[in-house]
Amino acid sequence: MTPAVPFGFNLPTMAKPLVLSFKGADIPFALSKVERSDLYGFVEIETLDERGRKCTLATLADDGRSVIASGGTALATLSAEGSWVEKKTLVPTDNQGNRITPCASSYAAPCPLEKTVTIEEYLSHDVRAVYQLSSETDFGPLLAELKKGTIFNFPYSFRGGLEPDAGFVLLAADGTPFFAVGSPTKLEFVGFDQSAGIAEEDEGGGEEEDSMDFGMM
Amino acid sequence: MATINIANSKGRDAVVGSQSVLKPVKVRWLDEKGRQVQSSRLMKSDLAHDVAALEAKAGGRERISKLLVEGDPEIDMETFGAMLKDTSRVFVDPEGKIVHKVKQFEVVKNPDGTERKRTPRKVSTPNTDTETPLKWSGKLMKKKDVYNKFVFAKKRQIVHVNGLTYDFLFNMAKELEESGNLLLMGSGPKSNEPLVLTRGGQKYRGFLEGRTQGDKYCLILHLSNLELKAAPVEVK
Repeated sequence: MTPAVPFGFNLPTMAKPLVLSFKGADIPFALSKVERSDLYGFVEIETLDERGRKCTLATLADDGRSVIASGGTALATLSAEGSWVEKKTLVPTDNQGNRITPCASSYAAPCPLEKTVTIEEYLSHDVRAVYQLSSETDFGPLLAELKKGTIFNFPYSFRGGLEPDAGFVLLAADGTPFFAVGSPTKLEFVGFDQSAGIAEEDEGGGEEEDSMDFGMM
Repeated sequence: MATINIANSKGRDAVVGSQSVLKPVKVRWLDEKGRQVQSSRLMKSDLAHDVAALEAKAGGRERISKLLVEGDPEIDMETFGAMLKDTSRVFVDPEGKIVHKVKQFEVVKNPDGTERKRTPRKVSTPNTDTETPLKWSGKLMKKKDVYNKFVFAKKRQIVHVNGLTYDFLFNMAKELEESGNLLLMGSGPKSNEPLVLTRGGQKYRGFLEGRTQGDKYCLILHLSNLELKAAPVEVK
């Protein structure tokens, strides 16, 4: 059946495919990021001076006179004494001081779809990015599994690194296969004795349809 | 800890805690002696030494190379490389001068980039901890029907602040868990306006989920500003 409205081909796709391995078959997928601007448009904040000229944001240094444009700063790694240290000489460790072994990029080898998670486990993650999945290879068996409501999970890292993200393959309600990238959260069950104030803040149809209008935001 | 003013299905409301669930960064970098290193932001360049400034100084872009050969006009030996600590964000005009009085507009653009609307900017104000509680909207959605309709980008855990609010929140979590539903949360009299947690912050739809484990509970406010669906086709 041909969908009434084809989707996805106007989106920029990532160059290297993400190869997912399902029941012995390697399926290369093209990923197309879907963002708010693709669905609802976007809002730009335009800042003008008194003469109507466009202004840009910059950083004023603590000397009170140096104005730094975007890209004018750099992050340096310093030793306990404040001396410059090359990052390549450093050892990444966890909170207990154990060395962390870097993981490889998920694009370096096929990612096996073996582990599944429940809806609650999926909902316990903050989803940072979502990508439409498309493939020129037939992935009927995988699609059939996704239609049952299965959510696959595997560690995902774009470049490779120390802490892989959580990758999820699932079927959206409109029938589109999606790849979601998220991070686990520290949700916990709290009892009567556990007082609030555990964590410090670190931040940064009809009436029904009306209340679900995501475009108005 | 932030607070949230929230009502239950019986219309009883209370101010309770709303805490971040972000996991702290796990990686620590150690030097050769096993000591933890630190990161610092340094100044690399400023507007007085960028290409536009050099162009003005040299009298033309094609003459910049001559300046560079003769000296180091792109570097300020006194300040470049200095650690940046108490910095401020400022607006600068096209000439790189600080502007003290600005006008801001919100320009709404369509997915294709065309302008839809232009209005003076309104800074959104937080609405989850006002005198008016977030009402129990009564709009319940099955968990299995919702998880793949929206992108849940953030969440807050709602926690009690005393014995009374423990009962209040535990019962709320139990009620939601037993029904297998998420409750749509919004601000305003009809609960149909977006939630704003911080001044000038993102606007979200809220979905309240309840879980229990014995006499413990986990009440989660999922926040979403994006539907999980295929992007429409660009018609040319």
